[in-house]
Amino acid sequence: MKKIVLVGKPNSGKSLLFNQLTGLRQKVANYPGVTVELKSGRFAQFELIDYPGAYSLSSLSRDEEIAVSKLRDALQDPDTALVICNLDATRLESSLMFGLQVQALARQQQKALVFALNMADELQRFGHQLDTAALSAALGSPVYAISAKTLLGIHEFRQGVLALAEQAEPAAPALNHGDEQALRDLSRRLSRQYGLTASLVLKNQNRIDTFMLNSLSGGLAFLAVMFLLFQSIFTLAAPFMDAVEAGIGALALWVTGFIGEGTTSDFLNDAIFGGVGSFLVFVPQIMMLTLIIGLLEDSGYLARAALICHRPLSYFGLSGRSFIPYLSGHACAIPAIMAARTIESPRKRLITMMTIPLMACSARLPVYALLISVLIPERAYLGGLVNLQGVAFFGLYLMGIVIALLVSLMLSRFVVSKDEKSDMPFILELPNYRLPHWKPLIVRVFSAAKSFVYRSGPVIFAVTVLIWLFGYFPHNAGGLEHSYLGQIGHFIEPVFEPLGLDWRYGVAILMSFLAREVFVGALGTLFGIDGADENIAGLAANIQADGLTLGAGVGLLLFYVVALQCVATVATIRAETGSNRIAAGLVIGYGLLAYALAYLAANLL
Amino acid sequence: MTVLNPATQTPACHTLWDAPKKASVCVVQLLAGLNPQVVNRLYEMGLEPGQTLLCLGRGPFNGPLIVQIQDCVYTLEQQVAEHILIEPQL
Repeated sequence: MKKIVLVGKPNSGKSLLFNQLTGLRQKVANYPGVTVELKSGRFAQFELIDYPGAYSLSSLSRDEEIAVSKLRDALQDPDTALVICNLDATRLESSLMFGLQVQALARQQQKALVFALNMADELQRFGHQLDTAALSAALGSPVYAISAKTLLGIHEFRQGVLALAEQAEPAAPALNHGDEQALRDLSRRLSRQYGLTASLVLKNQNRIDTFMLNSLSGGLAFLAVMFLLFQSIFTLAAPFMDAVEAGIGALALWVTGFIGEGTTSDFLNDAIFGGVGSFLVFVPQIMMLTLIIGLLEDSGYLARAALICHRPLSYFGLSGRSFIPYLSGHACAIPAIMAARTIESPRKRLITMMTIPLMACSARLPVYALLISVLIPERAYLGGLVNLQGVAFFGLYLMGIVIALLVSLMLSRFVVSKDEKSDMPFILELPNYRLPHWKPLIVRVFSAAKSFVYRSGPVIFAVTVLIWLFGYFPHNAGGLEHSYLGQIGHFIEPVFEPLGLDWRYGVAILMSFLAREVFVGALGTLFGIDGADENIAGLAANIQADGLTLGAGVGLLLFYVVALQCVATVATIRAETGSNRIAAGLVIGYGLLAYALAYLAANLL
Repeated sequence: MTVLNPATQTPACHTLWDAPKKASVCVVQLLAGLNPQVVNRLYEMGLEPGQTLLCLGRGPFNGPLIVQIQDCVYTLEQQVAEHILIEPQL
């Protein structure tokens, strides 16, 4: 199939244009460590490929570098019929330079190029008429003023693009405008001639920023946004999580009703519905967090948040751009580690990636929930405003962040990046505040859920099946204690004894090095309660009755705050850093620190 | 364009980092010490000698500089802003 390549600067409505041309069905190719996200979809008889936004063809950060090299590859591909360069019509001055660079690159490969000047609806609002015919003549490539949001001019654009892409003969190569300096001069001249005045475009944005970036009001607004974000991850996602849980429970009942009692039924109940089901419960939460981060990003606030955090984070050897990966790390470390690609400084990027696993990701949530309900009484103060268990939750989240900052501080003193000179400074564009469009958001939310399930699902399935097999057999040998799992557990017990934990916790901890959420499921199976994952309260009561001491319990919590227990995260770190040593070092380092903290808690409390 | 060493800069010029809020300034030159890739990006953004820009202020807690260059607003950290020599726009 012939391809059409879509490129553009960030914040210029490119994703929405892509969605409007292809509909909501699209494929996302994301190979960790190899490439950035490439979305492709069907546009008439062509495949439309959406390349990640870049500010320039001379890259500063790793993500730009990969995006640009992929773009170069695509332009060399004989199947590429046409390039669409999407630019912000309201900001010609800063967009045209990129447009001219892409045009020059397309010309080298003898590919036709079309300029889509997006967000033309905003031009209309300012009462500005863009002379596309004259601009097109000056640029030497067709120019369309469109709005992906209001669909203004989309019909003509679609027809024009298809007509050009369908031509059997390669289109006439674009004009040669000269070297970089000549391109800069040309872009400046054309934008003055055809574009809007800057003060008009930026008036609203600058007015909002006076409030949002003020030390007092901006700081308060930032705290309010963060508070709402974390609040909504728990409260808004809760009904959906309950629904998933209830759905899995009902399905389990329905399926096992057909089969009747026996080994198959035990297997389905404990391993499949209990084990795999417990992890599906977190999907709504990941979707909610993705939605909120998407809203913040598309509205333009995330760039401000990065700016606000830059100063405090630099103290710990991080960049303002580390803020976004840290934030997404609270949903899942894997997308967060990949998001660290936007950090321009290789050194700060490395430190950020190494500390992301300390963010309280959603896999820690069930472990925290279980242990808190075992250790902390449910008590409310100030008329129900402050809940003791809620405070404990907040404390654990905060502890993750604090430890991450301390580790960063330490690493920034010791880690020397291979190429110290290539350290890039913090330069960030503050985009216009905009009302986000639902289409790209919805696509993003569902693709986050899908990739979470596809990535973690197989591991969790394998682990639960394995635990179940080893715990169930030899059957009728006298219970779990005498199963294969029991024998392994007793073998490793000496390691966990100093922490005040017996062999069952040892097995659960060991298994959870594959994925943390396995802990609850494993412990549930080991304590002999069917479907324990879905009934944390029941398991908590059992653990309490079993006599887990306060010190050992707190130690266990601290262990889970620090330890790097997630095969998928380790694999991602290995792929992104290209280093086995870093990945292994992190597992061992965080493991030893976690063990030491748990030991201290168990013996001092 | 001649590139000056920070040590030999003339006292008449200021760096962008010292620019007062709401001031419209003109870029005189970029000082040596910046990565060539960064210089290239700054040029593309419009931070070229002779170009004017508007200093909008600082981020919270004396944070990075916020400047309007052409039709975009950027934030630049101290390390970069200190390498850009400016003079007040007349």
